Amino acid sequence: MSSRLRSLENRSIYILREAYAEFDRPAVLWSTGKDSTTVLHLCRKAFFGEVPFPVIHIDTGRKFREMYEFRDRLAREWNLNMIIARNEDALNSGIGPEKGKLACCTALKTQALLKCISEHNFDALILAIRRDEHGVRAKERVYSPRDRNFRWDYRDQPLEVWDYFQRATEEGTHTRVHPILHWRELDVWEFIKNEQIPVNPLYFARNGKRYRSLGCEPCTSPIESNAATIDEIIEELKRTKTAERAGRAQDKEKAFMMMKLRALGYM
Amino acid sequence: MEEEEAKIVFVGHVDHGKSTLIGRLLYDSDSIHDERITEVQGLVEEFKRRFEFAYFLDALEDEMREERTIDTTALMFKGKRLYTLTDVPGHREFIRNMLTGASHADFAVLVVSADEGVREQTKRHLFLLNLLGVPVIAVVINKMDAVSYSRDVFENVCSAVKDVMRSIGINDDVIFIPASAINGENIYKRSENMDWYNGMTLIEALDSVELRRKSEKKLRFVVQDVYEIASCRVVVGRVASGVMNVGDEVVFEPSHTHARIASIKTAERDVSTAEKGDSVGIVLEASDSAVSAESAVSAVSAVRRGDVCGHAHDKPVTVRRFTGEAVLLEHLKTGERLNLKVCTALVDAEVSEISTRIDSESGEVLERFPSEVKAGDAAVIVFETEPVVVERFSEIPPLGRFALLREGKNIGAGIVI
Repeated sequence: MSSRLRSLENRSIYILREAYAEFDRPAVLWSTGKDSTTVLHLCRKAFFGEVPFPVIHIDTGRKFREMYEFRDRLAREWNLNMIIARNEDALNSGIGPEKGKLACCTALKTQALLKCISEHNFDALILAIRRDEHGVRAKERVYSPRDRNFRWDYRDQPLEVWDYFQRATEEGTHTRVHPILHWRELDVWEFIKNEQIPVNPLYFARNGKRYRSLGCEPCTSPIESNAATIDEIIEELKRTKTAERAGRAQDKEKAFMMMKLRALGYM
Repeated sequence: MEEEEAKIVFVGHVDHGKSTLIGRLLYDSDSIHDERITEVQGLVEEFKRRFEFAYFLDALEDEMREERTIDTTALMFKGKRLYTLTDVPGHREFIRNMLTGASHADFAVLVVSADEGVREQTKRHLFLLNLLGVPVIAVVINKMDAVSYSRDVFENVCSAVKDVMRSIGINDDVIFIPASAINGENIYKRSENMDWYNGMTLIEALDSVELRRKSEKKLRFVVQDVYEIASCRVVVGRVASGVMNVGDEVVFEPSHTHARIASIKTAERDVSTAEKGDSVGIVLEASDSAVSAESAVSAVSAVRRGDVCGHAHDKPVTVRRFTGEAVLLEHLKTGERLNLKVCTALVDAEVSEISTRIDSESGEVLERFPSEVKAGDAAVIVFETEPVVVERFSEIPPLGRFALLREGKNIGAGIVI
């Protein structure tokens, strides 16, 4: 492993072990995408082969078939304690992106997660966001307290000096924990290659297209690419000037969409 | 290919052009995604504004509306090596965000506007960087276009900055660069308007810095937790300084446990050695100094989160009283009880004495033995604490950094002096 990957991994493992020691009921969020699968792999490294807390998958009912298949296969192989979170009421009412992406993401993702957290009383949620994904994510802390209503008060974030992370302190609140905040997209792929972490086949090019970031099927577009192997993806990323989330419709419906989604508790 | 990463924090007074400078650096180095450029152009139209390079950084809607940076932002770009650039707000009300952004930096760049010169936050940021132990490597005298590229103005501002640095006690080897971020002069490209300057551009200055990652000799392994793996106790944590080898005789403090390192574990395999920065697990066995095998086993089980491990011949020292210099985001009184965090140790403590109250702008001592300090002040404080391992910041930095907590909230940061 390169010294860069080793130092990224060391810091991530440190953060995961801090969270496990400091919180009573942590859980990790797994979209089945490359970043959160990398976080699961890091958990297995930090805790010597197992993920010692529940793994939440938010099911919007609109994910790619390959994502469900990948999820179920890995959940078995890695012996994951899965919780599938769905907002059944919203799904039954027929909500969809055609009725507005902010409303759809909020109902099927944010609300589903909110319900799951309150049902299980989780006090920490481990998330695979990275600073280089989006300008708003660049403003995140390693520990990010969320209030009772789930809101991220980005104007009033805690002092996080050195590795002295500050958790949410009040009853009914929870803390978002970000173990790979300091990684780049390229680092994730180099780590996946080095560690032979399984990844969803949708990331690899077929007929001149591949998915660079995975979300719900209606709101995620593939990019033009011939990168059919991990090595080719790494080469492509070293050259590209296109943003990672370029294929994610919800980020750019309106100005500051991502900020609004995140302030409401979006991941 | 090995990639060295340098973390740089940009500091300076509000409106002296930190965000513009970083935006310019990213733009000129071709590091901004096409979508981001399109997005910013869209925002400029929507808000009916003149295009600003700072818009590449200020991602919050309020930041765009108020035209100022509210929270710290970290961005990466590739120069000769990989850089993480941290932008911090230049307002006094955001000291908290400044400390958050600066505490992880390898070095700092100070931005001073040529037309305004040294201002309140210029001084405060220098003072805080010095307290955090982050060296300043370059001072960019920005907005040279606003002073007709005058060499005299540049030299006057430089000497004012040097005076402030001297008064705070900063002796770093600093490069002064006359620049115009808005026009991209002496940032990435050389200026054609300042023939009198033959020194480095900002990117050349950044590329020329050698990272002085000090590696201290003394072993200090910080305990995060103890796991039961296949009926074996594994002590997990991070090597904060020095090197640890299988077979080493070690002592854990404050639990005062003597042991020998039987094995060092990563997830996949056992290794024979671990060095600074490594997150590992260790299995302990009875040390030669243990009276009996049984007492050794029971002693080893005393190791807990918050302990610090060092070699038996150079062991960590537990204290119940220490002196620190801290900056505070809230007021603090003599006699007050609060919590201190030092690495993974969280201890109860009392403010036994406030030796001096210091102006975090000028670095001057305002009062000796005051009964309280105000939010935004710095202070030299004597703490009485539960047993805890600390080291002088000048000797082993990771063990010499602490946070002050009141009801679980970080209200200040300091170093052990």
